[in-house]
Amino acid sequence: MKYINKTAVVIALLVAPFITLSQIKVSNADGTVGFSGKHAGMTFSGEFLKWNAQLLLPPASNAYVNAEFDLRSAETGDSTYDDTLPEGDWFDVDNHPQGTFVSEEVTQTSEGYQVSGKLSLRGKALPVSFLLQEDGGRLTSQFKIDRLSYGIGFESDPDADWVSKYIELTLDIPKQ
Amino acid sequence: MYPYTRYHGLSIFLHWAIALGLIFMVGSGVYMVNFEMPKADQFQLFQTHKAAGVIMLWAIVLRILTRWLSKQPPMPEAFTAKEKALAKAGHIALYTALIAMPLTGWLMVSASPFGLPTFVFTDAIKWPHIPFVERNKTIESIARNMHWVIASGLVLMIIGHIGAVVMHKKKQGISLIQRMWWSKSS
Repeated sequence: MKYINKTAVVIALLVAPFITLSQIKVSNADGTVGFSGKHAGMTFSGEFLKWNAQLLLPPASNAYVNAEFDLRSAETGDSTYDDTLPEGDWFDVDNHPQGTFVSEEVTQTSEGYQVSGKLSLRGKALPVSFLLQEDGGRLTSQFKIDRLSYGIGFESDPDADWVSKYIELTLDIPKQ
Repeated sequence: MYPYTRYHGLSIFLHWAIALGLIFMVGSGVYMVNFEMPKADQFQLFQTHKAAGVIMLWAIVLRILTRWLSKQPPMPEAFTAKEKALAKAGHIALYTALIAMPLTGWLMVSASPFGLPTFVFTDAIKWPHIPFVERNKTIESIARNMHWVIASGLVLMIIGHIGAVVMHKKKQGISLIQRMWWSKSS
């Protein structure tokens, strides 16, 4: 028993650096999480200035892609939008300051990594899937979400007369 | 006689500035609600109308203060008692409608489900919303109707206002416009 325990500890110590190395921790300091859409026919785009993500990519068997982003940090550079986004009908930051993504499945494909999971906004977790493409040393992705399914701007503009129903999210993060 | 034959210089300036402002406000207001145009232009026109409305509110408040703090030229002797009473009532109605226009507009914007902020032509000046009416569709719709009804009434009153000046000039030969201009004559 004594030897088995020691062996286990030695193996654990030897393996541990590889486990922590293969997990990628990234934040707003390393990459960008952006969003864009249309308002009154005009394209707007912005960024979340505060976010964190943890990735463990295949071939690791328990691969995951998890992220938290601060909805208060959304910035478009247009004060009309920046003043409206935090409001109750949009991101509702007072009640839901954080958005999260928790993956359920990450698989390797010829182009990169196919990720599916749940994206939570305004307290609603809905299934989302996207392709993380390998591009040099970076992982990038573009995918659309339906703002109305999250109830974002549902009172203000339920028919998407002004603000587009689909909002494009863009990810650009380093792989290491 | 000079100081009392016309209104205070600031009143005169504000009278004509507000008159020009009203032409823009009524024009932009009617246009942005009734005419087809690209959404982006319509949105911009709404924002401009809101910003200009804040300036109108301040101009009208200043106008009322100036009137209150300065001496008014007396009504012409030639006016009958009935004309004097009508003129007084007409002016009270004009001032009431003038101040009610920006206030109902402000209330509408504050209660709007859009919850859009009002910037007065620059991001540095953000005009606040009236509290406690946030996203209140009932209040928004009441304010919207009032804004429209008062605007229509104001246009009619202004026609009456100009009509009265023309009428007094033609029938009694009284040039009222000199009371509201900077010339020192008469």
